[in-house]
Amino acid sequence: MVISDPVYFIALPLLTAFLLPLFGKIYKPLIGIIPGLVFAFIAYISFDLYLNLVPGKPIVIQLAGWAPPWGINLVFSEFSGFVVTLITFLAFLVWVYSYNFKKVGFDNSKKYFTLLMLLVAGSIGVVLTGDIFNMFVFLEITAISSYGLTAFYKGRDSAEAAFKFLLIGSLSSTFILLAILLLYKQVGTLNMAEIAVKAQSIDPKMKSIIAILFMIGLGIEAEMFPMNGWVPDAYSQAPGPVAASFAGMLAKSGIYALVRVFYTVLEVDGIFDLLLIMGILTIIFAEFSAMRQTRLRRMLAYSSIGQMGLIMVAFSFNTKAGIFAGLFLMFNHAIIKSLLFLASGFLTYSTKQKKIRDLDGFGKIMPFTSLMFGLGAFAIVGLPPFSGFWGKLNMLVATADSNLYFVIALILLVAVVEVVYYFKVIGRLYFRQQHKEVEVHKPTWNAIAAMSVLAIVIIGVGIYPDLITDYLTKATNELFDKASYIHNVLPNLSLN
Amino acid sequence: MQEFLTYGIYGTAFFLMLLGLYAALVKKNLVKIVIGLSVLDSGLHLLFVAVGYISNGTAPIFSPAVVGKNVVMVDPVPQALVLTAIVIGFGVTAVALALVVRLYRKHNTTNIDEIKNLKW
Amino acid sequence: MKKVIIIGFLGVIAYYLLSAFASVPFGADLIKGVKDFYLDKSPNDLKVANVVTSIVVNFRGFDTLGEVTVLFLASTALGSILYRRRSHDSGLNPQRTAPEASALVQTGAKVIFPFTIMLGAYIFIHGHLTPGGGFQGGAIIATGFLLMLVSYRKFFIEHNALTWIEAIAGSTFVILGLLGLVYANNHNFLENFLPAGKLNDLLSGGIIGIIYVAVGFKVGAEITGILDTLLTVKETGLDPEEN
Repeated sequence: MVISDPVYFIALPLLTAFLLPLFGKIYKPLIGIIPGLVFAFIAYISFDLYLNLVPGKPIVIQLAGWAPPWGINLVFSEFSGFVVTLITFLAFLVWVYSYNFKKVGFDNSKKYFTLLMLLVAGSIGVVLTGDIFNMFVFLEITAISSYGLTAFYKGRDSAEAAFKFLLIGSLSSTFILLAILLLYKQVGTLNMAEIAVKAQSIDPKMKSIIAILFMIGLGIEAEMFPMNGWVPDAYSQAPGPVAASFAGMLAKSGIYALVRVFYTVLEVDGIFDLLLIMGILTIIFAEFSAMRQTRLRRMLAYSSIGQMGLIMVAFSFNTKAGIFAGLFLMFNHAIIKSLLFLASGFLTYSTKQKKIRDLDGFGKIMPFTSLMFGLGAFAIVGLPPFSGFWGKLNMLVATADSNLYFVIALILLVAVVEVVYYFKVIGRLYFRQQHKEVEVHKPTWNAIAAMSVLAIVIIGVGIYPDLITDYLTKATNELFDKASYIHNVLPNLSLN
Repeated sequence: MQEFLTYGIYGTAFFLMLLGLYAALVKKNLVKIVIGLSVLDSGLHLLFVAVGYISNGTAPIFSPAVVGKNVVMVDPVPQALVLTAIVIGFGVTAVALALVVRLYRKHNTTNIDEIKNLKW
Repeated sequence: MKKVIIIGFLGVIAYYLLSAFASVPFGADLIKGVKDFYLDKSPNDLKVANVVTSIVVNFRGFDTLGEVTVLFLASTALGSILYRRRSHDSGLNPQRTAPEASALVQTGAKVIFPFTIMLGAYIFIHGHLTPGGGFQGGAIIATGFLLMLVSYRKFFIEHNALTWIEAIAGSTFVILGLLGLVYANNHNFLENFLPAGKLNDLLSGGIIGIIYVAVGFKVGAEITGILDTLLTVKETGLDPEEN
């Protein structure tokens, strides 16, 4: 029982990160190997815990021996467990991909793995924690490690991208802190379950100010519309595996925090309408910007923003079907976008300008990477038999359920736009002649392994969606059932 | 007196926050932007401590002089939170300054108008 | 034009914040909350006189672990952002080009330095009894090193030692937490498993004092490292490998 305590998801990466410089002094290759072992271990225990989770009985861990609401607690429920399992799985694959990246001009791997490990620990912490201020602390851990990882490569404009990210990020943390302060002064507690109980008594005007502050603050990592100026720069300037982990971990923990706050902690009238509007604006802004991009990574980044907008729209319905579709889209976005970024890492590495038109004829030069990119593109657009299809289908069903026909029209329009810009790239990869000589960097064996696993997951879920729908349904029920969350965290609470 | 304190202390905190926000959004010099963020943080931290104050309260420390007496203590929670927030603010400022050094090395300027390789 | 928009935007923010905080009068007591529990349990159960310390290290100790991580992260990110390949500046020692400080400053620094370190150590060792703690003490220690760095051009900090202190102090925190999983009554991470002792004794509060000492070492090493990295980089100004 001790071994399957969710606190290991955070404690082990932190301990390893602290000790990594020492391992490096003992034996250099340990710097690469130890993080992999830790990622493999936490991925294993998260699968183990998640598959053995009793429905309706989340694992609630109290820290420092104080029961919530006095101490900080971790909640490994169907929903948070799902996201954590996704994050640890992707973290392991990102490690596999970047393990011997230094063969292709990668340096200073000690700092890279330390920052990556803290990014993973931070994202997991955001998802697991049951305390609103603790969530802020972990959000800052993910944010600062992202600044460091964005600026990791020298020579590009990475420092500029990171500074921009930092400027937006620290403004956002101010808003989150203000929201937490106001909330604390209203309810006298920081535990999310207890806030949820006491939030009914807050003055509605005050509550909506708090909710808007949270939305601005948390929307930054969730790539929401006015605050997502950092996304294209950070994604295009960071190393390939880092962009994949931004899509898979940073954005996922951001949307998780947003959803958890609005579904469980604060019930505010009209906040879902606002989320719907912001989501739609995000989609429109992102997809049409994506079409105009000439650089592959920026195009993928805008497409990622569009996907996140779609997820926000799905969660804004406040129905079970909507949550289900949102979770499916989260899963798809994490898996497929990671594959696309990992593949694009090798595609753009060979071209100096990282422009889409430099990719002519790459289907012959780099057959495997191009195939993976093509597969990812087909999946993200929503074609069967890939998992992306089921996500979009569920999204359409959920939208129809909520009688929002203009949103259906928007989703279909967006699908067309996505087809246009993704197929533009695929067309260049396969149906053009190579027009200039490039120095080709073949993917290494471990990169091939990482991409293959993602591809297998995409096809597997595409053919048998039942592989995950069961878990998604459970997660939906958990998120929708606020009372049982409160009851599980605070079993002794007599309601009023 | 009560009114004065409410408006005076909150007002100072808000003034610092808005000043910092203004500097962060308007100034063209990278170092000034970082200073703005720092001032914004300071205002916020002041606000935290001010909100935790309880009239006529003492510091929440049970020193021998206080033990056994019936004293009002100020709310310790915002003080604990602000400690965390200060450390995080320090970390962010350090990273921001490092980025400024990188940008200065590359472009030989700290004016953001001259560093616009990426769109702002 | 941009300024007008931004001032308008700031005005909107100010209006809403003021109206939100108007209902939070200065000095008002909360109706009910977790703070009463903390004010009760800290002196009675944990035997920690400083309630802020017991919140920071025990009740919300997980936050503090995150906080220490943020500092570690900042120094790692700083190193990675300002990193330059060894091959370029091997053979050339890190040099600061600032002029040597005057003899008066140097002598003063030399006299003050050990006392600064002592004050810092005092503050983090007594973190559970008096105001202050690991973060404050660590910051004071770092200012001592900053004083030496700015007064002596030839004062260099041993990075190897810093790495060891950081690693050992950081892992002490996590390992003490993990020991709580095994030895403490409720088998919780970061739970106290040592005897609590007597209120206002130096050896009281169980693991709280030990954790704060570890935090003090880590913060001191971390901030010193950050200051040293920034100073050395700025003043050498060499730039062999950009672009």
